[in-house]
Amino acid sequence: MSTSARSEIFARLREISRKASAERIHQDRQALGSAPVPTPPAAEMCEAFLANVLKNQGSVDCVANRTEAVAAIGHYIYSHFRSHRLVAGNDPRLAAMPWRDAGVLPRFGRLEVGEPVALSFAQLGVVETGAVLTWTGKSNPAANNLLPEHHMVLVDTADLVPDMEHAWGRIKQELESNGRPRGINFIAGPSSTADIEGQLVYGAHGPRKWHVILMGKIPAEALSRARAIAAP
Amino acid sequence: MEQRSDTFLDNASEALKNVEQAKRRDIIATFAPLMRSAAIEGFDEFDTLRQHVKRVREHALDHLEYYLGQFEQQAVQNGNHVHFARNSDEFNSVVLDICQQHDARRVAKGKSMVTEETGLNSFLQRAGLEVMETDLGEYIIQRAGETPSHIVAPALHKSAGEIRALFQSTHDLGARDLPETVDLVAEAREVLREHFLKAEVGIIGANALVAENGYSMLVTNEGNGDLCANLPRVLIVCTTIDRVLPLAQDATAMLRLLVRSATGQAQTCYTSFYSGPRRDSDVDGPIETHFVLLDNKRSDILDSDYREMLECIRCGACLNHCPIYSSVGGHAYGWVYPGPMGSILTPLLTSLEQSHALPNACTSCGRCAEVCPADIPLPDLLRDLRHEENSRKLSAGRWRLGIKLHGWLARHPKLYQLSTAIAIHTLHLFGRKRGSYSSLPMASGWTSQRDFPAPQGKTFMQQYKARLKRLAEQRNEH
Repeated sequence: MSTSARSEIFARLREISRKASAERIHQDRQALGSAPVPTPPAAEMCEAFLANVLKNQGSVDCVANRTEAVAAIGHYIYSHFRSHRLVAGNDPRLAAMPWRDAGVLPRFGRLEVGEPVALSFAQLGVVETGAVLTWTGKSNPAANNLLPEHHMVLVDTADLVPDMEHAWGRIKQELESNGRPRGINFIAGPSSTADIEGQLVYGAHGPRKWHVILMGKIPAEALSRARAIAAP
Repeated sequence: MEQRSDTFLDNASEALKNVEQAKRRDIIATFAPLMRSAAIEGFDEFDTLRQHVKRVREHALDHLEYYLGQFEQQAVQNGNHVHFARNSDEFNSVVLDICQQHDARRVAKGKSMVTEETGLNSFLQRAGLEVMETDLGEYIIQRAGETPSHIVAPALHKSAGEIRALFQSTHDLGARDLPETVDLVAEAREVLREHFLKAEVGIIGANALVAENGYSMLVTNEGNGDLCANLPRVLIVCTTIDRVLPLAQDATAMLRLLVRSATGQAQTCYTSFYSGPRRDSDVDGPIETHFVLLDNKRSDILDSDYREMLECIRCGACLNHCPIYSSVGGHAYGWVYPGPMGSILTPLLTSLEQSHALPNACTSCGRCAEVCPADIPLPDLLRDLRHEENSRKLSAGRWRLGIKLHGWLARHPKLYQLSTAIAIHTLHLFGRKRGSYSSLPMASGWTSQRDFPAPQGKTFMQQYKARLKRLAEQRNEH
């Protein structure tokens, strides 16, 4: 880089920018407050999250615990791929799942070219947009989100946050305790494109299917109500 | 990128002759506004959000020196190299230097209007690099040797048939004939996947830079930008100095406006924040990351009466709602940014001399300002540019004379009313039998395309005054 480009740009900005101390600038930003958040499609968090996942063209399963989760995962991969194999990040929460009970054969690590399905354990689920959030690291190689044909994501109901402001609150805790992850990824649907005549096609570059498994205490009617909300 | 904005009127006439493309533009102009409206419906506080984000962006631009410095410091702390470029030449050279330092031969590129502005692709290609656009729309137009017609959906001017023919002539398809759109997408996916896996350098844009933590935000539906950011061993983030926001939550607040206005979604499929190179705990990701931050007259704009234009978030809503853009399409504007935002940015980023036709490509209908999520007074800025065009004598002499005469007449209401009354009365007398005129002196621009209806006899002011008089009489009678 030419140092003169940097110094010239900053000198110019110094002339134009308003003069204030860093403290004053931060106070001014704080005074502007937070952004308004859209009203969720349902008051109950699980129901609203599921409705938004469905609107994002995700498919969903609801399970009460880890045993049901591995059964649902096993059923999904067998019905789509006639296989019991999947790739999952080195997430201790995933390593501790009772895989044998459902006959699922996970390989822990980074997805290799040709492997069709990967499972991630989301750090958070964002009710506002129906997005799941992962950050890169041992537990979440980026390739596992981006390269499989089907991306499955497990979300614990305890990790649901109402909106993106709350998501940042939780992410900032991670930044403070474990440093800044290389990538923070909000994922809200299968990879899609409408670049040819505006026609929506899934699997533009990344996963063609995006399957979310919500695990925990979920009200009995939440999924059927979510389906009714998301129905066109 | 080569500029052809000075021939806007000819470009527009040419565009209107392509009936098939005009039909597709009509369809987009119908559906895109509906999708935006549907996304905003039920979000009662959308306008409050718009005002909130506007205040945050104004604050960020007021203190740009501070926030850009904070971003740089945080980004360096995160392990990035941060470069600054005053203009396109410096920008392109910085990117090429990075590629050459790594002996790169292949570049996988995500969508970036900034690199269209600097002509980065052709610069890198001249140096022998294989640069592949990976956003499907960008890939299609790169293959076709064209430029984007829309800032969000760059290839919407092409039909599926044209894209099929393009793939048939440039891909090795064997016996496959790609009958459906899904087949075309799958074909591009396969070709590009291979390129992603081989590329040594990934280049992406940024929708925002976050000063407090040095992350950049990338918004896509295809996920191609994320593949560029994660697979090659070197990542270069290309953007401009004005994209900085103070806080992470400011970036996602802006996202709420951006995505609804651009594609009618609540969030795109992939919204990613990238902080730098691979960490010890990472099993993948680039080993070296760079930010290249371009000024290219942004600081001049910041110091001018057009500074609100820097608050543009590149959603494309003003294009989708503009009657001129819908009629003539993006290519007619002759440079990178089309539509209302482009008609302001092009003169500011290039020169008014080269592009003074663009601020005139406006009916002053105000739809763009109504839908702009950044609340930029686009019609006002376009008018100011027209004013500048006039005062710098860039328009034709007869136009300036006509405007001067009209201005003088408009400042003398009595004379204005009298002269229009005479003109309207004359047109009424001579045209009442036929009902319309097929030609009129000094109005051939109008009558060459359609007939001018003969006036009914009275001007608006005459009728208005008569009505006032009648009402006053009625009141007196009571």
